[in-house]
Amino acid sequence: MPAEHSGDAPVLQLREMTKRYGEVVACDHVDLDLHRGEIHGILGENGAGKSTLMKMVIGLALPDAGTIRLDGEAVRLHDPVQAARHGIGMVHQHYSLVGALTVWENVALGEKGALDPGSTRDRVVEITERYGLEVDPDAYVRDLTAGVRQRVEIIKCLRHEPRIIILDEPTAVLTPAESEHLFEVLGEGVRREGWAVALVSHKLDEVLAATDRITIMRNGLVVDRVATADADAHSLAREMVGREVTLRTGAAAIGSVEAPAAAAGEAAEVKGEPILEVRDAATRAADGRVLLDGLSLEVHPGEVVGVAGVEGNGQTPLVRVLESLLRLETGSVRVDGEEIPTCRAGAMGAAGIAVIPADRHHSGCVPDMTVAENLVLGSVDRFAEWGLLKREDIKAHARVLIEEFDIHCPSCDTPLGQLSGGNQQRVVLAQALSVGPKVLVAHQPTRGLDVGAIEYIGGRITAAAESGIGVLLLSTDLGEIAALSDRIVVIYEGRIIGEMSRAEFDMERLGLLIGGSTAGEDAA
Amino acid sequence: MTARTDTLLDPRVRSGLEMAGLYVLSLAGALLLSGLLVAATGNSAFKVFGALLDGAFLAPGRWGQTLVVAAPMLLVALGMVVGVKAGFFNIGQEGQLLIGAMAMAWVGTRWPGPGPLLLFVGLALSMAFGGGWAGLAALMRFRRGVPEVISTLLLVFVAAQFSGYAITADWLLRDLDTTGPTRSVSSAPLDEAIRLPVLRIFGNEFNWGIVIALALAVLLAVALVRSVWGFRLRMLGHNPAVAQKAGVASTRMGSLALFLSGGLAGLAGAVMLAGGSSGFRVTSGFSQNFGWQGLLVALLARSSPILAIPMAIVFAALRTGSGFLAATGVDRKIVDVVQALLVLALLIPPAVQFIRDRRKALAMAGEEA
Repeated sequence: MPAEHSGDAPVLQLREMTKRYGEVVACDHVDLDLHRGEIHGILGENGAGKSTLMKMVIGLALPDAGTIRLDGEAVRLHDPVQAARHGIGMVHQHYSLVGALTVWENVALGEKGALDPGSTRDRVVEITERYGLEVDPDAYVRDLTAGVRQRVEIIKCLRHEPRIIILDEPTAVLTPAESEHLFEVLGEGVRREGWAVALVSHKLDEVLAATDRITIMRNGLVVDRVATADADAHSLAREMVGREVTLRTGAAAIGSVEAPAAAAGEAAEVKGEPILEVRDAATRAADGRVLLDGLSLEVHPGEVVGVAGVEGNGQTPLVRVLESLLRLETGSVRVDGEEIPTCRAGAMGAAGIAVIPADRHHSGCVPDMTVAENLVLGSVDRFAEWGLLKREDIKAHARVLIEEFDIHCPSCDTPLGQLSGGNQQRVVLAQALSVGPKVLVAHQPTRGLDVGAIEYIGGRITAAAESGIGVLLLSTDLGEIAALSDRIVVIYEGRIIGEMSRAEFDMERLGLLIGGSTAGEDAA
Repeated sequence: MTARTDTLLDPRVRSGLEMAGLYVLSLAGALLLSGLLVAATGNSAFKVFGALLDGAFLAPGRWGQTLVVAAPMLLVALGMVVGVKAGFFNIGQEGQLLIGAMAMAWVGTRWPGPGPLLLFVGLALSMAFGGGWAGLAALMRFRRGVPEVISTLLLVFVAAQFSGYAITADWLLRDLDTTGPTRSVSSAPLDEAIRLPVLRIFGNEFNWGIVIALALAVLLAVALVRSVWGFRLRMLGHNPAVAQKAGVASTRMGSLALFLSGGLAGLAGAVMLAGGSSGFRVTSGFSQNFGWQGLLVALLARSSPILAIPMAIVFAALRTGSGFLAATGVDRKIVDVVQALLVLALLIPPAVQFIRDRRKALAMAGEEA
């Protein structure tokens, strides 16, 4: 092994860790050493087995085989509480916080015995000051942004004074500035307190920037171990995906954002009237929360407009409006100059807006219906005569799309729910494009997919724009936005607060904008 | 070799066989338990089941009677299915059935006109009134957000009180015949010409009710799978957001589904009345729990109109069979126990499948994480 550690003994030693789920081997004889005072990156795409490995370390999953040694001593970990007693803490990808409770109350959750508000609160304050994690201990969690919520998760983890800290995809919902701050805090802890940190990620650039050592996983196996100093993005990408990654969309998927600057010249020429025009859109939730606050944007035929922003700034309400699922209180939506009534069943679809929602199970597909049926959800009228379905036509239509979009399924009569996530997403995409839309709205179209599927869907989106469709791409992944968009607008608290064309693309300014800082705008 | 059989046997076929096995096992368990219960009361289990079987099918004329009873149960079950497929739970069939029967009685005893026409009009109006009764729940649901599960249920009691009043009010349904020694508290019996025609096959008599019910079951099954309407109804039931996006407004489609659901229950009431239930009269307690039992039929048929046919016959058989129990000296309440055990037994396989699917889903979620 080229990257064998020469110094002290590992604080955590995993040997031959194996975990199966049914017929799938999630982790296959995985070895891993964590050392004091080091950040160890565990790199791999979705489904590589990173999270499963970490779940076994924290006691959330029991290994089928393998040993865990802490300071050389074999231990069996049954649950996170026991793991915490051994000094292992984890910051999960999905937060487990209670919105109706304050920060310190959330930190105290899960403690045994009597609650001592004073000392718990003091402890929270002490941790925040010690590690520079700015959080108001008395704030209600529901009022906090994703970045601050993560700090609360970290405080929960640090309260048990762990020696080993595991972070699972910690930057998924953070702005670049917040990510940077997170890594500063981690670096500080590693230097001062000698933490051993495992950073689970599928993003190359952050692993390269923040870690000392990298283990790369693919299909449940460790495929390489390198010292970060000897690593380069290109070879890491190849190891991680198992082949050369060429498309800029694929590069974006694994977080190496260099593409847009180079591709600056190829932005589409935009002429004429917008195909989609959202003007002063405003609406509130039933409880009075403002969802959209005077949002305006335009999409022209043949261009990809990327909507960048941190999750929860109005992306979902905007998409729901364009799906006929949410009513605007004021403002309008126009397609091809014609105003479309909001929240009237099927009106947006009939006007030519096809939507790939972020949560496909909410409004993208029907898992209990067959693949063929899902492919005609919005266009069933075209496959009917005298009110009866022309089932052979529906199946023929499905077979064409299955072929064209490379959907892997046993047959077109298989219930959609039995397909893998990537294939379900292809069905949603195929359905959206097969109706011949004027506008394609794609919200987080590649979240949770493997690199192959991400490249594919990115390519399809680009192709759709080239064929003259106006594309609105909403994503929290700046790399994806940067790679695919001709024009980028930034959404913040239900409004568009900034815009840049591909030619003026500037990652730093974009990062500031999505955090809500328009200071950069004055300078620009 | 094992690998080859695996590829030959489609996993869906295999899981289907497993399910069938589970059904057989749990039904056998329920029968065994029922037998033990009967034995515990000091009677012979075989005698009791023999009597049930005689009463339901084997004795002369009995299977015809079972079909008569099965018809309204099947109609109620079909009504439940329409609602469930659209994602709405109408559980007020007992009330809608009463309303339908009253509409039939009203047309049959108070309207002038030739009998066959009145029968036809009565059946149609019973659907309209039953549907309208469920439509009240739809109105509350879509105007005010009142859950239809609660409103349909509560409307049962309103319907029961209303029917109780109607059969005592001369201006509504009460029999106007004052020639007898006492005036009956019920509607007048339907005239011969307004009753459902009777079919006689192999010494068994049954009315057209079962034919109507079977025809509607097949029609509904075909409509759900083959028609655009059925496609949209299922879309709404499975995922209202997708349906709204695709142009299916839950207010319209959902109201229609609830109306049809109530309409089928109303028709069940009319079929009972015109088929001779309570001597062709609407009496107090006319509905005889048919509305509730029809719900169980739909539940056990897992919302399949075709599966509802055998289920309705099983429930009808338990009802007609229990009439023969008196001869064995066993309280006919034992039938309720047997019925309950059968219902529980038939619920076990879907529950097992649910737990299994969940495990599989959890395992898959684990893999993806």
